[in-house]
Amino acid sequence: MAELMSALKGHLTPGRYGLEGTAGVTLSEVHPFSLTQIAAWPDSLQAVGLEATLLAGCDAAPTPGQAALGPNGTLLRVEPLKWWLIGRDTPPDLPSLPAETGAVLDLSSSRTWIRLGGANAADLLNRFLPLNLSATAFPAGSSASTAFHHIGVTLWRDEDGFNLLLPRSFAASLWEMLTESAAQFGTEVV
Amino acid sequence: MTARRLDTGGRIDRTRQIDFRWDGKTLTGFAGDTLASALMANGESVLGRSFKYHRPRGIMSAGVEESGAIVTVGEGARREPNVKATMQELYEGLSASGQNAWPNVRFDLGAVNGLFSRFFAAGFYYKTFMGLPPFEWGHGTGLWMQYEKLIRKAAGMGTASREADPDTYDHAHGFCDLLVVGSGPAGLNAALTAAKAGRDVLLVEQDFELGGVYLNDPEAEQQRLDLVEAVRAAGVRIMTRTTAFGLYDDGTAGLLEKVTDHLSRPDPHLPRQRFWTVRAGATVLATGALERSIAFDNNDRPGVMTAASAQAYLNRFGVQPGERIVIATNNDSVYGTAAELAQAGAEVTVADYRREPSSETPTGVTVRTGMAPLSAIGKSGLQGIELAREAGTSWQKAERLDCDLLLVSGGWSPVVNLSSHRGAKPVWDAKEACFLPGETSEPIFHAGSSAGIWTREACEASGIAAAKKAMGQAADTLAPGGWTTPITPLYEVRLPNRQSKAFVDFQHDVTGDDVRLAQQEGFVSVEHLKRYTTLGMATDQGKMGNVIGLALMAEALGKDIPDVGTTRFRPPYTPVAISALSGRNVARHFKPLRRTPLHDWNLRYGATMTEAGLWHRPWYFARQGETIAEAYVREAATVRETVGICDVSSLGKIAVQGPDAAEFLNRVYTNGFAKLPVGKARYGIMLRDDGMVMDDGTTWRLGETEFLTTTTTAQAGKVMVWFDELLQTRWPDLKVHVSSVSDQWAGVSIAGPKSRETIAACLETGEDISNEALPFMGVARVRLKGGIDALIARISFSGERAYELYVPAASGEAMMDLLWPTAEALGGCLYGMEALGTLRIEKGHVTGVELDGRVTIDDAGLGKMASTKKPFIGSALRQRPELLREDRPQLVGIFPKDRSQRFNGGSILCRPGDPEGFGDGWITAVTHSPALGHWIGLGYIAGGVDAWQGTAVLANDPTRSGDVEVEIVSPHMVDPQGVRMHG
Repeated sequence: MAELMSALKGHLTPGRYGLEGTAGVTLSEVHPFSLTQIAAWPDSLQAVGLEATLLAGCDAAPTPGQAALGPNGTLLRVEPLKWWLIGRDTPPDLPSLPAETGAVLDLSSSRTWIRLGGANAADLLNRFLPLNLSATAFPAGSSASTAFHHIGVTLWRDEDGFNLLLPRSFAASLWEMLTESAAQFGTEVV
Repeated sequence: MTARRLDTGGRIDRTRQIDFRWDGKTLTGFAGDTLASALMANGESVLGRSFKYHRPRGIMSAGVEESGAIVTVGEGARREPNVKATMQELYEGLSASGQNAWPNVRFDLGAVNGLFSRFFAAGFYYKTFMGLPPFEWGHGTGLWMQYEKLIRKAAGMGTASREADPDTYDHAHGFCDLLVVGSGPAGLNAALTAAKAGRDVLLVEQDFELGGVYLNDPEAEQQRLDLVEAVRAAGVRIMTRTTAFGLYDDGTAGLLEKVTDHLSRPDPHLPRQRFWTVRAGATVLATGALERSIAFDNNDRPGVMTAASAQAYLNRFGVQPGERIVIATNNDSVYGTAAELAQAGAEVTVADYRREPSSETPTGVTVRTGMAPLSAIGKSGLQGIELAREAGTSWQKAERLDCDLLLVSGGWSPVVNLSSHRGAKPVWDAKEACFLPGETSEPIFHAGSSAGIWTREACEASGIAAAKKAMGQAADTLAPGGWTTPITPLYEVRLPNRQSKAFVDFQHDVTGDDVRLAQQEGFVSVEHLKRYTTLGMATDQGKMGNVIGLALMAEALGKDIPDVGTTRFRPPYTPVAISALSGRNVARHFKPLRRTPLHDWNLRYGATMTEAGLWHRPWYFARQGETIAEAYVREAATVRETVGICDVSSLGKIAVQGPDAAEFLNRVYTNGFAKLPVGKARYGIMLRDDGMVMDDGTTWRLGETEFLTTTTTAQAGKVMVWFDELLQTRWPDLKVHVSSVSDQWAGVSIAGPKSRETIAACLETGEDISNEALPFMGVARVRLKGGIDALIARISFSGERAYELYVPAASGEAMMDLLWPTAEALGGCLYGMEALGTLRIEKGHVTGVELDGRVTIDDAGLGKMASTKKPFIGSALRQRPELLREDRPQLVGIFPKDRSQRFNGGSILCRPGDPEGFGDGWITAVTHSPALGHWIGLGYIAGGVDAWQGTAVLANDPTRSGDVEVEIVSPHMVDPQGVRMHG
């Protein structure tokens, strides 16, 4: 099997950067991973939601702005009729849906997955994202489509911190901005 | 002014001495000093030169309203002009200098301007130098253009560094339930009240310490400490050194945080300043009030300053600002200051304009009633003050008092700037002689002296009340005022028939005479007054001078102040550096760089990149010693001879899925897509509603309900948005999902006679892309060696036998590592945009420069692709008579008449001798054609190729190559039958 190349290859170098002291931010990339879009029609929303829930293994299909974690991956509601199933493994075979029920699409190569942890993770994200990321306004299990330096990105929060999906073509450029800004908090790149 | 540092007292830390430089001298101050307080403690009295007359200026205040001590801080690339010394925190190694002066602020040759000051009244330059009689009577401002350069040099403030800014600046977003601006008695109490009620409170303070006026009152220190501790304990988020400079829609505030401006050696990882966008549920403005001056002769002399600032220098900074002090006032606020200065050992006289001033005269203070300041005596150092008393409607000279410091209090102006930003028009209160904040329906609440409340206890109570209101609770509104004896308005003191320089706006050198001159010349509207005299247009936006200017205009017009009006304040409250606004979005981050999955691979293999929107794409792959021209001609020739590989990953790619996907595409494209077989691709053109071409590209039918649509690189985003809009607003009944997959796929074009051979060698055993298995416009799923799943389509932009091969982006480099060695062994090449352009121009294939939004499908020579059997977007409006005219510019090819000549893209096509206006057409693209051996071009010309047979045409390019005679030919300049492509 040929190597799957990260968009951050040559850009992400593990190490300790920026302000000295305890690193305020921890950054890492999840690569490779699988991203499957599962889309419904207005009259099949519930059925496809159930299908997506089964695929992820989570309790219920998340509503807009929510993320649900299951044993097979995280399920996000990214649009009124679309879910994204994000798994930590390489792209599996696509599930199939009858066209009258919905549509499935592999987007695994289209995004770069960055995880942000540490005491200042929300502060760092708020250097770019115009979202209230406080623990009350955006608790674990929240998701959002938002803008990072004018580029549309997807964000969700889990118990360990924040997850950012960057469009692959912009990933290196946004990674540079993110890490340059992160230096003010002290950064651990894993 | 004979100021000196006191041995005790103040908030400075005398154990932490700080060395700094002023105009080349090394001076010392203490931690806790501002640059102004340290300079004052060192006996420096002349710190600046005025804007127009170069008059010596000293410290006039202790805050943002400072109009005298405006200096340049820093050196080299970090030199920053127009810093208010009163707001600059002292740090070790700080280097400051005077500005707008030569050789220095103490002895400035520019002061000669003052001798001619009577000529430099409002409008002087325009009257004198614009349309200068008799040379420019009735025409032109050419001389003005010359004079302006000299005038700008003579006037104006400091100069910024011309070097690139070495510091970084940050942006940040913040959120809170309640934003409290100002941490004085009102602000601290507002923040505490709301935080105790469970609100998320953000408290911002422009100073480096919390407390506002508490900081100037040693007796209130314990109260301040308790309040600050309570505020912290209640969970209020506190930002010091942060100015709320503007309020905007929906509770948005702009803040400027000075992160490292107070540090000698800031950590290089920290930004210098941070620009915050804060979204607040409600806002309490506890922004305080600014003390006004009074216009009298020489009221700008070093040694004249506001009364409250003396209290700050004495109590906060431990500096006794003068020994013999006169305080000129018209209100109660100075008496505490007078007592404290006297207690500190100064000889203090209060000249109170009011006949019956405050009931209690403080110990050690002499009070002279009915007296007002007439003229300050002394030039660089104050020697005394002439007082005047009212005589009927005029003034008469009274007596002279010797002094080294004159403190002035002409009343207080609440800081209503921020609510004014929201359109709340300030309201004149005649009793308190000030503008109070206007009404607003937004959740913005003024508290403390910014609401005209003068006593500390009432300010504290008003802070609590404002917080309650901000939380939607009932609370009483505290009435403005609070002085024992009312203020008696006093704006200007002058003797009739005596020349004086009585400044209204210190920063712009606007005098009372200037205001009256404006009135005499008809500039009576406050807006005209402002623009004619520049009153209130300096960096302080008239914080000190606006009210006086209005009062003088009202007097000249015989009106009341509110009848003259007031100008509204605009953001920013204090200046904001452009660098802070641009943040990190500078240099290489000015815009994000978009990389294809093959970006690094291309660079490794010698690509020179070019910008295509946000993308970087390979421009050409030069071999050792090759120029760009040699490289692209070689690349294009190689494609026609053997094989070339080009990264086309930047093309827009949209997955169109669903039972109605074919129907959707059939409505979007001019040509039919409903019956496109699975496994086939089709070139399509889509129009806008108005019948003009929007974009073109190929669409591949991957399955019965699954298509892959490609767009041009430039229009990818626009087409995606267009598809979504159509589905959401026009055809919500169609079961179609569109998703951008531009970033999902790495794509290459493999073109040339040996393209099939190249790809076939990279496929896993059993895969077949022979002409039978994959004919022209065929689409297939194939597997490359190493198990890489790919999509392949046999389509051609170059006119050669060619394929587009797509693999998931993460496998892009692996694909190239298969293809390139194979192609190289076959004598092939990598090619870039330049060669791609050559190949497509030779074939007459259009791109964005031809489909520029002004072109119909017929103009582009593709009219046959517009179906007559079905409606499609734009099918109605493309039939407009104007769009059907036969003399519209149409796509043509262009050869130079003399084949050895070349011409330029952008040239106008015209008849010989008639290079006027827009000509008859234009050239969109040119290249040197390796296939034809000469320069060729594409363009548009009225009537198309048929209209110009046998007619001479010039390519007119007056600014570059001049005229070149050209021939109009068919745009299909190489292999018009497409034999090579189909083979």
